Amino acid sequence: MLKRSRGRWSWLEASLPVAIVVAIGLLAIAIEPLAAQGYTPREYGDFPIIGSRAAIWIAAQLHLFFAAFVLGVPMFAVVAEAIGIFSSDDRYDKLAKEFTRLLLVSYSATAIWGAILVFGLITLYPGLWGYLSEIFAPSMWVYVGIFFFESFTLYLYYYGWDRWKKGRAKWGHWGLGILLNLWGTAVMLIANSWLTYMMSPPAEVTPDTAPGMVQFWSAFANATWMPINIHRLIANVVFGGAIVGAYAAFRFLSAKTDEERAHYDWMGYIGNFIAMSALIVLPFAGYWLGREIYEFNQQMGTTMMGGFMSWLWVVQAFLIAVLFLAGNYYLWIGMGRIPGAERFMPYTKWMLLVLLIGAAVWATPRNMIANRAEITAMGGQFHPFLGVLGVMSAKNTAVNFMILTTFLSFLLYRRANKKAVVSWEKRGTTIQGALFVTAAAVVLFYGVYGYFVPSIVRIGFSVYQVLAVITAIILVVVIDMLMMRGAKSRGEIRWGEMPERSQYALFILAVTFTWLMGLMGFARSGIRQHWHVFEVLRDTSVDAATPALGYASIVISVCVLIFLSLVAFIFWVGGLAEKPVISGVGGGATSSAPVAGDGET
Amino acid sequence: MTNIKILGVMIGTIAIYTWIANAIPQIESAVPEELSFSSDVSEAELVAAGAELYSGGAGCTTCHGLETRAPNLLTGFNGEGTIGTRCGTRVPGQDCKTYLHESLMNPLAYVVEGGFDPMVFQARVFSGAQIWALVAFLQDQGGVVTVTGADVAAAEEADAAAPAGGPMVASNDPLDIMRGNLCLGCHMLEGEGAELGPAFDGIGSRITTDRIRRSIIDPAAEIAEGFDHLAGSMPPNLADMLTARQLEVLVDFLAGQGG
Repeated sequence: MLKRSRGRWSWLEASLPVAIVVAIGLLAIAIEPLAAQGYTPREYGDFPIIGSRAAIWIAAQLHLFFAAFVLGVPMFAVVAEAIGIFSSDDRYDKLAKEFTRLLLVSYSATAIWGAILVFGLITLYPGLWGYLSEIFAPSMWVYVGIFFFESFTLYLYYYGWDRWKKGRAKWGHWGLGILLNLWGTAVMLIANSWLTYMMSPPAEVTPDTAPGMVQFWSAFANATWMPINIHRLIANVVFGGAIVGAYAAFRFLSAKTDEERAHYDWMGYIGNFIAMSALIVLPFAGYWLGREIYEFNQQMGTTMMGGFMSWLWVVQAFLIAVLFLAGNYYLWIGMGRIPGAERFMPYTKWMLLVLLIGAAVWATPRNMIANRAEITAMGGQFHPFLGVLGVMSAKNTAVNFMILTTFLSFLLYRRANKKAVVSWEKRGTTIQGALFVTAAAVVLFYGVYGYFVPSIVRIGFSVYQVLAVITAIILVVVIDMLMMRGAKSRGEIRWGEMPERSQYALFILAVTFTWLMGLMGFARSGIRQHWHVFEVLRDTSVDAATPALGYASIVISVCVLIFLSLVAFIFWVGGLAEKPVISGVGGGATSSAPVAGDGET
Repeated sequence: MTNIKILGVMIGTIAIYTWIANAIPQIESAVPEELSFSSDVSEAELVAAGAELYSGGAGCTTCHGLETRAPNLLTGFNGEGTIGTRCGTRVPGQDCKTYLHESLMNPLAYVVEGGFDPMVFQARVFSGAQIWALVAFLQDQGGVVTVTGADVAAAEEADAAAPAGGPMVASNDPLDIMRGNLCLGCHMLEGEGAELGPAFDGIGSRITTDRIRRSIIDPAAEIAEGFDHLAGSMPPNLADMLTARQLEVLVDFLAGQGG
């Protein structure tokens, strides 16, 4: 009875996002007659104390954090559910449901921050809002409609979990999960078109072009739209995995029983696995986006990489180094609970060395803003030694080595407690080793060769490096899956027997991912400089200048703190609504670490 | 206690990132101001305006920031010191101010020996006041600034009296157009010109006619792959210096360079 009553309340609560979106729609309708009567809105409004720019910045960033979470989590919820269906392993099904439970309240928070953002734009930046809505009005209505369907699909997906649990109904339920992801992706694609238009409006749009005359589709599918879509799609998975990892770490540290500890240890591993797997692909999407920005406008690209933002990439490299190091550190500590892993432990110090060297090269800037005295001291615009490491040849080589090393960590983790029984095990391992060496050699060769060819040729080399690494990863995984079929166990993974310090690595990963998202948001938005819409609609407000990184970092930190506080509240509320589902991990269950495409556990 | 530890780790991590971001050089991207001088402009104002042009809109650092394409003006060249110290001795009988002004107005006049390409600088793109601001900035690199408000006022008067726009050359011959507009200062065509920008040889087979036209009208819109570092060095108002017929002649000629 109590459960039923709680369920009713949840329906009311769950309808909040839809109510918010409808309210925004009604407000937009109410504004239109004012314009028809010849009322000219002011260009800018004022926000007390922190100013309009910071207010909009915080609202947009928090909306984005929550949006990334509610788009990323359904992706691996549906994958976890599929693994549960195909492997008949109930743990994955329960894990997927637990993820989805976190979504419900996060959904409301996403909509609330979305509403704050829209109201902020209407009241603080009415001129810009009017301009954008005149171009994108049709897509805004479609957005509202899709959001409506997305919300109700989520309700069906979560509340129907236990009812549609078996047989064909389960497949239907899984279909709902896929539909939920499709709606979510469509919403993201639409919103991305608005913000990318501000970055890269079509060439035919000039300051004299009336917004009503802008071709909708060319504005929608602008130059940076698709690269941003792909980059965000992958980043959302990384982000969702990291937040789930932090949730599991929190539950692990506050667990009262071994069974609970084992469950959340396993969940933390899955979150980290998903985050790190997607992180490996993210730099490639980032390079594509950067390349498109250069293609769109060279000056914008130079501003981003070599102008006033050049130091930002040094900070970014530091953050990414932390991500790689923390992710690998978590895996290496985790090997302590896997019998047989001790044979791989001597390798970790070498892997650490590769990661540290890679991070140092990646953090080396090429073009720095330097004063005359500094240029004189360096003997030229570029440092004679560091300048060589700052070019893309060196950076691409470094990041590919870091990716290969991280993949090797996962591979060792996965094989730690297994003993292959196939007759070709030795040959298979040799081939795997050869694939690693070949990929590393290709990466190194093109990295060095890149110094001796014109830049137009060098740009193409990054493709060969990426292809070599991805090919090696795919082939090694396939060989490993075949080789480990029917493998003997060297012992059970002792889920839950994890030192507490490992869980703090998961917290650091979550905080770093969140902060990094904020930083990249500043980079993407800041390269427009004093333009609302680049070289079309000028920012004439008192905040037109783009702030320095120090100020930006404070705003980013405030956003991250607010977000994490709200997420902590959501997790706490989630814990109140339903007892966490504890699966039978640990306590004697034999498990191995999953990797992509691995159904056996 | 566990919750406090978690909070400490999270806030500590955020604090470290914030500290790093505040510890590095803080550079704000200011909104560019329109340059406007009066006859009582001060030396400091001229030098500041020149510095902004030098590292920004004039695109000087594209070549002069490196050691290979052009002499480095700010850090010394060939043991002769910075440009402000050597400009007065470059041409016998010519003072520093005249030498620098002449070098900017007529880039082919004094090409420094040592295998450098002729300077690609479209003086017409800039106002007389901006040219003098650049001269003042260059003089300030180790020398004495002798540019005065009177130089600026005279240049502005001359600008006001000069007809706006108009072609650089009267000819409709594509080669004359390219030579007169210094296109070959960066682009190579059948052995003539410099290999700084993309070669004109075979350009018609690499890009479309529309893109050739767009590249002349709005050079920053699309930069040829591999030439990112030269962004901003092609004059943005090149098309203003061509007649409509010259533009079409040039486009047709380049489109016909199919290699």
